[in-house]
Amino acid sequence: MSQTEKFEFTPDRLALYKEYLTRYDDIDSALLPTLHLAQEQNGWLSDSVVAYISELMGLPSIRIKEVISFYDMLYDQPVGRNIVHVCTNITCSMFGGREIYSGLLKHFETGYLTPTRDGRISIQKMECLGACEQAPCMRVNNDYVGNIDLQSAISKLEELP
Amino acid sequence: MDYKDVANYKNYALLSYHHIPGVHNIEVFERAGGYETMKKCFEMDPEAIKEEVKQSGLRGRGGAGFATGVKWGFFTKDRNAKKYLLCNADESEPGTFKDRFLVEKNPHILIEGMIISAWALGTQKGYIYIRGEFYHQAMVLERALKEAYAKGYLGKNIMGKGFDFDLYVHRGAGAYICGEETALISSLEGQKGQPKLKPPFPAIKGYRGLPTMVNNVESLAAVPWIMRHGAAAYKQWGTEKSPGTKLFSISGDVNKPGVIEVPLSTTLKEIIEIHCGGMRNGNKLKAVIPGGSSSPVLNADDSYAVKMDYEDVAAKGSMLGSGAIIIIDETRNMGDILKYTLEFYHHESCGQCTPCREGTGWLEAIFKRKETGKSSKSDIVLLDKTAASMRGQTICALADAAAMPTQGMIKVFREELEQYVTAAPKK
Repeated sequence: MSQTEKFEFTPDRLALYKEYLTRYDDIDSALLPTLHLAQEQNGWLSDSVVAYISELMGLPSIRIKEVISFYDMLYDQPVGRNIVHVCTNITCSMFGGREIYSGLLKHFETGYLTPTRDGRISIQKMECLGACEQAPCMRVNNDYVGNIDLQSAISKLEELP
Repeated sequence: MDYKDVANYKNYALLSYHHIPGVHNIEVFERAGGYETMKKCFEMDPEAIKEEVKQSGLRGRGGAGFATGVKWGFFTKDRNAKKYLLCNADESEPGTFKDRFLVEKNPHILIEGMIISAWALGTQKGYIYIRGEFYHQAMVLERALKEAYAKGYLGKNIMGKGFDFDLYVHRGAGAYICGEETALISSLEGQKGQPKLKPPFPAIKGYRGLPTMVNNVESLAAVPWIMRHGAAAYKQWGTEKSPGTKLFSISGDVNKPGVIEVPLSTTLKEIIEIHCGGMRNGNKLKAVIPGGSSSPVLNADDSYAVKMDYEDVAAKGSMLGSGAIIIIDETRNMGDILKYTLEFYHHESCGQCTPCREGTGWLEAIFKRKETGKSSKSDIVLLDKTAASMRGQTICALADAAAMPTQGMIKVFREELEQYVTAAPKK
């Protein structure tokens, strides 16, 4: 979705947002779950998403953008339909995590988080994913894939829609 | 690890249910004795529960090792005052994956622990702050919470005691620093996850400026066992100062990496050789990072001699931390390990305090100078001095967490690091 296209929650997501509000004692605390929800729908948090949330929650846009910029899993730029996190921390790097990360970028002719030309995949180097027993590991959307090598990682990503 | 392995730990406090298939379902969990302790605790005076946890000597399992019962003692006893219980499930210290392993199979042990703790502390609301990457684990917890609500263990007037406690899952979004308890609070408040100056401690002034107790997953999950069997029984394990059992996350060059539960003070040698099936490819042990990436490295001799309790690991110049053990064999270059560590801390500094924001960047830049062809042996001296100047200068411990393993690595492997920085860069 482009930067300027108007955004609003689908009715089921709006209902979920309203349910989130009941969980917290103030509106600010609902911001992170709301951003997750919006990103789930739109893929990334464009200016029009921020404008919508700002209006919906009564929070200044700059305050929302500041939060988005802080977290690695919130995107202020367009990303691929599938997000791949490759762990490059200590144990994963001991078992080739970094070579897998650079190998994937090369194979898919892309850079950090830049969507592939077909818009299918964004690859992101990540902090320790907390699955060191399966090193090297990656996350494909919300699923962990452990004990990978470059070839198995490429095969896995080639299957993505 | 498969269930066969997990069954080895069924007589301990935390993995006692892990061998039971389907134990994430409340019915299965209850058939195995789950939530019985919670019901018993509702017949007890809350102060007596706090006292029992204090007597058990349980120490915070997130990394700092501060006594949970003592921390609870700082909390207001006014049951009507609005206050919160937060579970820190932001597990992000490189090498750590124990909390994930605990809750993905057995979410109810944590929920039972949190309900008992909430009753003891008089908190009306709680959140499980779980790192954003653990999406499926968050869903497992959400589902388990629904089951607990349906049974009347959460919500209004629990067990007819006139006690209300609501509990929710709150997902992070990818930031190591949110595992620091005041940063976690900032993040929950919908802000950037930046730590806050202490004091005031969260127990006095925390989430939304109200009294807030923040405990690690593993600490809260130990509470049901302690309340069921008593503090004295818990102290059958470990040492006087480090009682009980502990989860360890073991990764790196061993045959069977994974999560184990053993009494504190178990030797690292036993952990490597018995629990983890020995060294990978029969290689020789070179070094061990015993408590996550921020703990100073141990050489092979110290690793084989150390007992995994708070005091003995400290006596060897490191720390038990979160119990994340990274095993490093003779084929590894310690320069690479330090490089991975320094890049990580530079990326994860929240940027609030100058010594950390600049210092973590300098550490990385100094150590990687060889990439610009301008390195020399004396860079290691500069690295050591820079690390030393960062310690104790910042709001939270991230600067120290970067400086400690740097200085530790220099102490143990100086010569290898000198060779590393002066060697021609890899093409």
